[in-house]
Amino acid sequence: MTDLALGRPAADRDHVLRLLQTYGVYLGVAVLLLVNILFTPHFLSGENFRTQAVQVAPVLIVALGMALAIGSEGVDLSVGSVMALSTSLISLYLGYGVWVALVVAVLGGMAVGAANGSLVAFIGVQPIVATLALMVAGRGLALVLLPQLKDVRDPNMASLGSGALLGIPYPVLIAAALALLVAFVVRRTTFGRQLLAIGDSRPAAQLAGLPVRRVLVLVYVASGALAAIAGLLATARLSASDPTSLGNLMELSAITAVVVGGTPLSGGRVRIGGTVAGAVLIQLLTATLIKHDLPPSWTQIAQAVVIVLAVYAARERSKR
Amino acid sequence: MKSRTLLRRTSARTLLAVGLAASLTFAAGCAKSEDDASGSGEAASGKGDSGQVVAGGDGGATCAIDAYGGKKFDLKTATVGFSQSEKEANPFRIAETASIKAEAEKRGVRLLTANAQSQFSKQISDVQDLIAKGADALVIAPLNSDGWEPVLRAASARHIPIVTVDRKINAKACEDYVSFIGSDFVEQGRRAADRMIEATGGKGEIAILLGTAGNNVTTERTKGFKERIEEKAPGLKVVFQQTGEFSREKGQQVTEQLIQSKPGITGIYAENDEMGLGAVNALKGAGKKAGDIKIVTIDGTKGAVRSIVSGWIDGVIESNPRFGPLAFSTLDSFTRGEKVKQDIVIKDSAYTGKNAEADLSQAY
Repeated sequence: MTDLALGRPAADRDHVLRLLQTYGVYLGVAVLLLVNILFTPHFLSGENFRTQAVQVAPVLIVALGMALAIGSEGVDLSVGSVMALSTSLISLYLGYGVWVALVVAVLGGMAVGAANGSLVAFIGVQPIVATLALMVAGRGLALVLLPQLKDVRDPNMASLGSGALLGIPYPVLIAAALALLVAFVVRRTTFGRQLLAIGDSRPAAQLAGLPVRRVLVLVYVASGALAAIAGLLATARLSASDPTSLGNLMELSAITAVVVGGTPLSGGRVRIGGTVAGAVLIQLLTATLIKHDLPPSWTQIAQAVVIVLAVYAARERSKR
Repeated sequence: MKSRTLLRRTSARTLLAVGLAASLTFAAGCAKSEDDASGSGEAASGKGDSGQVVAGGDGGATCAIDAYGGKKFDLKTATVGFSQSEKEANPFRIAETASIKAEAEKRGVRLLTANAQSQFSKQISDVQDLIAKGADALVIAPLNSDGWEPVLRAASARHIPIVTVDRKINAKACEDYVSFIGSDFVEQGRRAADRMIEATGGKGEIAILLGTAGNNVTTERTKGFKERIEEKAPGLKVVFQQTGEFSREKGQQVTEQLIQSKPGITGIYAENDEMGLGAVNALKGAGKKAGDIKIVTIDGTKGAVRSIVSGWIDGVIESNPRFGPLAFSTLDSFTRGEKVKQDIVIKDSAYTGKNAEADLSQAY
């Protein structure tokens, strides 16, 4: 009798916990939206949602690449530096026209990604160490190329940053398209399956004859390309190239979005929907604290609390 | 199977080679940026660099070489070491270093330079290096105010005169160092408040874009501004203050949130030009017109002064980075045995709609 009475709630608790792990991030977003609708003046306006969407777009794009890297049981710390490199390259190559500059910037990001991937796949360096090296080198290279902030006056760049199609700003459209693309790649393509298999167990994937090295290199190339795209969108929006501060601490925001979204750091699973919601959650959290004029240190504390909660949920999951 | 592995290897190698080639191309310098044609040397040439003017009268403590210790020497034949705190990536630091270098060249002084890249431990070892390399006098732009004891002890043992610029060191003037030359940040805040009161008519709600938290520049520019507003314009209310971390991107993001949650705002005080320019971006994005919201900033960079001309920024309080002439003339007088002031506060000018166009060449 006592056993039964104790057993049932425990099972219920497990069930609730599992639900929270899977859908907690969506619940968080819903709660924050509700709180803001009730307590934040002028929150329910199209303009406000546009602002939040535009601000979250670069973080989200970077987080997509990060989700791939984390899904392969790695991590990409160089994303912030890739953004800085991308902004430097845009400024340097804008003289040839906007398309050339954009292509060069993305190629630059892919080159950094290729270097990351090669270090991880061929030389066997730990991802955290390999990408840390390129995080330092990338920012350095960006500053060598462009030592200080430079204004970007190209009208095409300006319209990329502030233009809109049917009322939806370009950065948001691009972020949404990339999220769908990455979700498709993870779920429906061989590459996606191979990535998850490698993330689950690299030795097993190797024994099964999967092209482990090629997939790993491609993962980091994709992450680099996505970070470079985020960098060029941020540049377009700022209408300036600022390699000193662009992308600072971006790797942490991206990892937070991915982890909060329910992708385990142990690899083998990627949740793109959760990652999108995770990025939105952090953005809404920051916006709420700023709109209510709370001290900036609170934002950091609130982010820390969210991360701890997410990690706690992940721990429960691995125990299961 | 074997051939497939080989193929895989080669494709990976090709990828690597392409990556390397691409990164080399970046460095090769086939770059062509937007305005290569139109005067890129403008910033470096430093036209209209009139140096700084000392504010105030003859008051304040002075220092002479007998009190500090050491012997008189001729600065012309001496070696001067300059330790810069942050990398020359923002207009202020670029103008500061350029001004020191230009003045050293003008006077024919041998100059040794070092840059601490925002790491305090590196700045300490930089200064020790400069002393070891035989610097007879030092000009230091300190990253922090505290933690200078070991270096200062080494310097004062050799009686090397030290002048600190833009930030003060917490140590005894005329004992550990000779003089401090810098702006009065509290006063800059007060003058920004005056400008804001004039622009808004002393009524309405205003926002502050703070600098980086825990930085004395932020604290003092905030203190001066708020004190003056309280004292002179009780009708002006500060309803919002958030950090923009002295960067344009953060300034833009915070302003975007601000104008949505508080649409009735009449003025924005940005504690540096970069955040002010970010605020301008945000206002443009929200469909505001130039002059709808009054922006007052501090620094005096070219970009901000140009924005005054276009009407987006109302006023810029200058924080003059051109320490070269004053630093060297102070060292020169001191080493000749004359008395110099321990605290040399410089006079900063201001840019408004009236003088922005004419004085654009003086902005840095």
